Amino acid sequence: MSDDHDHDHEHHHHLRESETYYAARTKALESLFREKGLIGTDTVDRVINFFEHEMGPFNGAKVVAKAWTDPAFKERLLADANKAIAELGMRDGIEGENLKVVENVPGTHNVVCCTLCSCWPWPLLGLPPYWFKDPVFRARVVREPRGVLSDFGVTLPDESKIEIWDSSAQVRYFVIPERPAGTDGWSEEKLAALVSTEAMQGLGLATA
Amino acid sequence: MKIQHYLGGIENLGPVNVEKRVFVEPWEAQLFAVHTTMMGTGIWAWPDLRVLAESMNPLDYFKYRYYIKWLGGMCKFLISKNYISEKELEAKTKYYLEHPDAAQPNAGDNDVTAKVIDYFYTGANPYRDVAVDPLFKAGDTVRVKDMPPAAHTRLPGYLRNRIGVVETVYKGAYLYADNVPTDGICTAQPVYLVKFKTRDLWDDIPDKGDVLYNDCFEAYLEAA
Repeated sequence: MSDDHDHDHEHHHHLRESETYYAARTKALESLFREKGLIGTDTVDRVINFFEHEMGPFNGAKVVAKAWTDPAFKERLLADANKAIAELGMRDGIEGENLKVVENVPGTHNVVCCTLCSCWPWPLLGLPPYWFKDPVFRARVVREPRGVLSDFGVTLPDESKIEIWDSSAQVRYFVIPERPAGTDGWSEEKLAALVSTEAMQGLGLATA
Repeated sequence: MKIQHYLGGIENLGPVNVEKRVFVEPWEAQLFAVHTTMMGTGIWAWPDLRVLAESMNPLDYFKYRYYIKWLGGMCKFLISKNYISEKELEAKTKYYLEHPDAAQPNAGDNDVTAKVIDYFYTGANPYRDVAVDPLFKAGDTVRVKDMPPAAHTRLPGYLRNRIGVVETVYKGAYLYADNVPTDGICTAQPVYLVKFKTRDLWDDIPDKGDVLYNDCFEAYLEAA
């Protein structure tokens, strides 16, 4: 085997592990789908737009703000989340046919994960961010949740107990974070702006 | 044994990548849209993708970013099911490497778009309204079985042989999948919410009173 061949081989290998290559291969996939009539000319744009404007964490934040300001709604949400979100004109769907909402209260903090893959409540949060899918997150969160929380800059009071929800079957979990102090009388819209994606899975806190 | 089935509890991995974006490169969003098109038109479903992820070299599984793994899995699946050929994929890839700004072909079936969006709202509920006679009731102590290795499982490895308490018996039955090889979850069956004390899972962690909940298919449980 000549040095040139080795060099070519290495070059080929590097190319196949580059963002340029991944981008070209993805374009190739879409174009083959188009030519075979497996996708529409507007499908990719529409799907991306859908998760930017229709199914995203803004839905979950709205639900949290409503739960913070309407205790009767919160009770209905904790009892049957799919039914309760419909009251807000919100639709459930893929990866959220069976939603379960849990609530953080002083002394009890909920954390959601999926150690086997990336189960996530799409109707309320859209698509999972990278951290949720990180094998390191998934490996560590069940055994050392406080260490993982500290990677997110979150420190819980010493006496807090943690409840971890490892999604593996049909249920997708969602957390109502604790309402921050000093927000009495705030509008739902203003409250919703305090709620991050991370807080709605227990990896962040809502702060005013 | 596959490390992908045993991620929970692995030590010494260092800090979590707290990247909060969903996509870090534009091609990832495009790939994701192709994936949801495959889902919405019945070309594949989650279990197909998971089987591929779980069959990966475990070191590669840790090494590559999420959507890089998806890209490999999707291409492999589409070629193996004859939706596309390896030859045409290679040729097209080469074309877009040489012409990165080339437009997509002005072809396709625009009925697919509405089908995919509709699928986002209808989902694919695994609930099956069939008569079942659950083996366990709320409050029962159960042991998680040490299931034989399978191509695909929904049983987190760290729960094997552990004892927990049934918190909830979900109504009815749930079908995980019937088109991929699993360890006993290819038929509709009861699912239980089971509660574990994390100190019972790992006896060397500090006792903070933490608990862990997992939804267990009935095939994975036995009386303890």
